Amino acid sequence: MKNKNIALLLSLIFFSSIIYPQLRIEITEGTKDPIRVAIVPITWELDYPAREYLHQIVSSDLESFGEFKALTPQEMLSLPQNEEEVLYRDWKLLDVDYLVVGTASQGGISKNISVNFSVIDVMRERTLRRSVSSGSANHLTALAHVMSDRIYEEINGIPGIYSTKIIYVKKDKPAKGKYHLKLADIDGQNDSVLFSSSEPLMSPDWSSDGRKLAYVSFEEGSSRIYIQELYTGSRIGLKMEEGINSSPDWSPNNKYISAVLSKDGNPDIYMFDFGTNSWEQLTDHFGIDTEPDWSPNGKKIIFTSNRSGSPQIYELTVSNRKIRRKTFEGSYNARARYTPDGRSIVFVHRREGLFHIATQDLKTGRIKILTDTNLDESPTISPNGNVIIYATKNKEENILAGISIDGKTKFILPTDLGEVREPSWSPLLKLSRANKLF
Amino acid sequence: MTALETLFVMIATICAIGGCANIVYDEAVDEPTVSAAASVAQYSDSDGEVSGTIYFDYDQYDLSPSSISEIRQFASQVKSDSSSRVRVEGHCDERGTREYNLALGERRANAVADILVLNGVTSSRITTVSYGEERPTASGSTESSWAKNRRAIVKLL
Repeated sequence: MKNKNIALLLSLIFFSSIIYPQLRIEITEGTKDPIRVAIVPITWELDYPAREYLHQIVSSDLESFGEFKALTPQEMLSLPQNEEEVLYRDWKLLDVDYLVVGTASQGGISKNISVNFSVIDVMRERTLRRSVSSGSANHLTALAHVMSDRIYEEINGIPGIYSTKIIYVKKDKPAKGKYHLKLADIDGQNDSVLFSSSEPLMSPDWSSDGRKLAYVSFEEGSSRIYIQELYTGSRIGLKMEEGINSSPDWSPNNKYISAVLSKDGNPDIYMFDFGTNSWEQLTDHFGIDTEPDWSPNGKKIIFTSNRSGSPQIYELTVSNRKIRRKTFEGSYNARARYTPDGRSIVFVHRREGLFHIATQDLKTGRIKILTDTNLDESPTISPNGNVIIYATKNKEENILAGISIDGKTKFILPTDLGEVREPSWSPLLKLSRANKLF
Repeated sequence: MTALETLFVMIATICAIGGCANIVYDEAVDEPTVSAAASVAQYSDSDGEVSGTIYFDYDQYDLSPSSISEIRQFASQVKSDSSSRVRVEGHCDERGTREYNLALGERRANAVADILVLNGVTSSRITTVSYGEERPTASGSTESSWAKNRRAIVKLL
C-alpha cells in the first residue's frame, strides 16, 4: 500500500512536469493559395454550449490539411443566419470563396441536435447545397466533423475525411513501458485505448468495413496475428504457425488476410482464408518477402522483397501468382501501400542514408519523394486519397506527421506522452457507427 | 505492471543512467563496447542466468569469427544440460521498416541458432524469436545506440 502511494506520488510529479497541452494539428508548411471559407457562427437556439463551438471545430477541420483558410468571426463584416441575409458584397470584399450559414435546434424524443446549413458559392452567388446534420448532444464534435465532411465534399467533389479515425501503436516512455493500441480522431483528439500489453504490439490494419482490426501481438512470447472486433472488443488469435506471424492486411472484401509466415524457415507471403480457416502460401522465395498490401480491386498484392539483394517493391497477381518488380530507383524501397484509386503506391524510400516517404505512379514508374524528415515509416493513406499520415522522429521523439499527397502541406499530429507509431487510417465511417466506438 | 514495478521504472527513468539502470530490460549485461565492424559477444551468469549478446553490422545477419567462437563457447557450456531450453532473440536498430526488421531479426536469431546446432545443441531445445526493432536496449538515434540494438541474445532458460 505504501509502495503504491509513493508510486502514485512519483508518477504525478513525473507526468505533470512533462505532460503536453492538448494541441491540434500543427501545420508546418502550407499551400500558398488556400481556398478561403467563412463558417459563420450558427444561430444557436439552445442554452449550451457556446454558439462558436461548431464554428471552431468546422473551421479547424477545414484548415487541418492546409487546403482551406477559414475566417475568424472578428474578420467577418456581417453574421448572416440564412441565405436571405447574405450580402455577397461583404464576402467578395474579404475574398471569401465559400460561405456556410445555418441554424441549430434540438428536438424529438432523442433530443438530438440538428444543424440546418447551406454551403454558398460567393463568386457565383448561389447555394451549392442545403444540408441537415443531426447527432447526439453528447457528440457535438462528431457532428461538427460530419458537417466538415459535407462542406468539403461539396467544394472539392470528393469525400471529406474529418469523421474518419486512426489507430496507432503507443509505447509508454520507460524502457519497460507498456504497448497500447489507440484509437483517435485524425487530429489526435478524443483518444481511447483498444488494447494494452507489456509485450510489443505491431502492424494494426483496419478491415475495409471499419468493424475489425488485425494486428500483431507478442503476448504469447512470439509474434501472433489477432483480430479484434472494434464494436464489442472481442478478440481472437489467428491460427499460429512456427516463426514469424505478422504484417496482416485485410483483403477489400474482408474474406482474407494477407500476412507473413516463416514456418518453412523463411518469411513468405501467405493468405488466411476465413472460409476454410487455413493459410495458403502465395510467394516462395529464399529472400525476405514481407509487408503485403492488397490492391483496392483485390486482384493484386504489393509486397517488399530483398530477392534482388536489397529491399524493393514487387507486385503479385493473386490469380496466377505472377510477380513483377515495381521499384528500381534506390537501394531501399519498402512497405508500400496502394492509393485508393490503385494507380500509385506510397512507400518508404531511402536516399543518401535517410528514410523518406515517397510515391510512385505504377504506370509511368515515376517516383516522387514527399517528405524531408528522416526515419519516416509506416505511411497510411486517407480513404479519399488526399493525405498521408506517417511515423517519424522529431528531436528524438517518435511522432506522427502528415503530408498532402501533392506534397504541398505538411503537418504534425499532437503527441501524447510516449512513443507513437504505426498509424492505420480507417475507411470512411458512418457517424452512427463511429459514435459507438466511444 | 505492479505498483512496485511502476516505482522502479519511475526511479530508473528519473535517475536516468545511474547505477540503477540494471533493472531496465536487457541491460543485465555490462555496457558493451561496440564498434560496427567487430562483433563482440558477452556472457553473464550472474543471478545464475547464462546468457550472451552477439552484435551485428547494419542490415547484416552474418556472424564475425569472434562471434562464432563466442557462440561455440556458449554451446559447450549448455549442450550437456539437455533438460533446459535455449532461447535466441533477434533484434534490429530502428532504421528501415518495422516488418522488414522483424524478418531481419529472425535471420540474426537463426544465424546464432545454426552455430549452436553445429556445436552440439539439439535443435529441439532451441526456440528463436524475432523482436525486430520493437525492443531496443539503447534509446536515441545515434550510431552507438544503433550498434547496441543490432543484436541477438542467447539465453539458457
